[in-house]
Amino acid sequence: MHDDSTHPDELLSWYVNGTLEGPERARVEKHLESCRRCRDEAAWLARLREQIKAEGGADAPGELGLRRLMRQVRGSEAKPRARRLQWWQPALAAAVVVIVIQSVLLVKPWQEAETGIVPLGMQVSGAVVQVEFAPTATEAQIREVLQAVDGIIVDGPGALGVYRIRLQGVSPADDARVAAAVAALRARKGVVVHAAAE
Amino acid sequence: MNEPDATSTDAESAEALLERIAAGSEAALEAFYRLTHQRVYAFTLKRVGDPAMAADILNDVMLQVWHHAGRFEGRSRAMTWVLGIAHHKVMDALRRRGREDRHEELDESIPDEDSAGGIDAVAGVEDASAVRRCLEKLSDAHRTVVHLAFFEDLSYAEIADIAGCPLGTVKTRMMHAKNALKRCLQTLGAAG
Repeated sequence: MHDDSTHPDELLSWYVNGTLEGPERARVEKHLESCRRCRDEAAWLARLREQIKAEGGADAPGELGLRRLMRQVRGSEAKPRARRLQWWQPALAAAVVVIVIQSVLLVKPWQEAETGIVPLGMQVSGAVVQVEFAPTATEAQIREVLQAVDGIIVDGPGALGVYRIRLQGVSPADDARVAAAVAALRARKGVVVHAAAE
Repeated sequence: MNEPDATSTDAESAEALLERIAAGSEAALEAFYRLTHQRVYAFTLKRVGDPAMAADILNDVMLQVWHHAGRFEGRSRAMTWVLGIAHHKVMDALRRRGREDRHEELDESIPDEDSAGGIDAVAGVEDASAVRRCLEKLSDAHRTVVHLAFFEDLSYAEIADIAGCPLGTVKTRMMHAKNALKRCLQTLGAAG
């Protein structure tokens, strides 16, 4: 005889669907040997499962849905396939930030009164674009691309691998210059896989 | 359209396809769609109840797969990963529709009465129409757990992964769902 506290009610559904393993499965099987109540419960759940499976899935979009999908995939101008991150990419990201900051300090007089170093995550003024670099892009290529648009990395990479690039001296309201910078970034195929104004 | 169901023997295929999709293979995306779309659509339709919306969500899910296949790290099965994406898309859609949960969510801290003894509930599970009607009455959270456990045959750990909730919550939701179904079947049976 079992009291209510020993019945493995919370596990029966997963015993029935075959996913229970190890000690939990052994516990349930042992319990079922001597508990009529739980055997009936398991039988009820098994029948419920059969009914749900028999109901099946409704008619899915099929080939029409696939054609719709592929039209969008082929028609998309961005190719943001996020490739699996290699182990060295976070290190590269950190190195790029350091190098960019150093390059700006050494090569170009900083135009602002303060140090001009923008702590990551800090709110920044000026136009910002979001850029995703190709996984195969080298540090030198990234630096060249940034210098071409007079941009500095101010944040990133985020969860989706996107960096925020501040366009120095460009007002967010200056749509034409922002658009030109985005176009210039996008033209660097092989280095930039995605670029868009924020 | 005749395509195989993504069973455990196809698990490697689905994961291999994700690798190729991450490398930019459109052919792999097409194959992945054919392999998985029926299950993703079934999961979505069960929750939103609208075929057009479910089709839109399916499309969004597959686009997400295309864009972010590289982020699949193999810590879960490919189907679990895709259903996780679908879950979030469904939640977004339900929120936009203002119907995050069509039915009152049971207070999961309060164990509800186990009505395993109801004869009409026992008999009611044999009535496919009654089972369908009672499943539709479940809250979205409960219907999700039941579908993933009994249509997809996922473990409670995989369901927790998809739904983004603790393991205990999955088990509790299943118990509440089961009891709600029994009460519903009991009611329908008593109504004759």
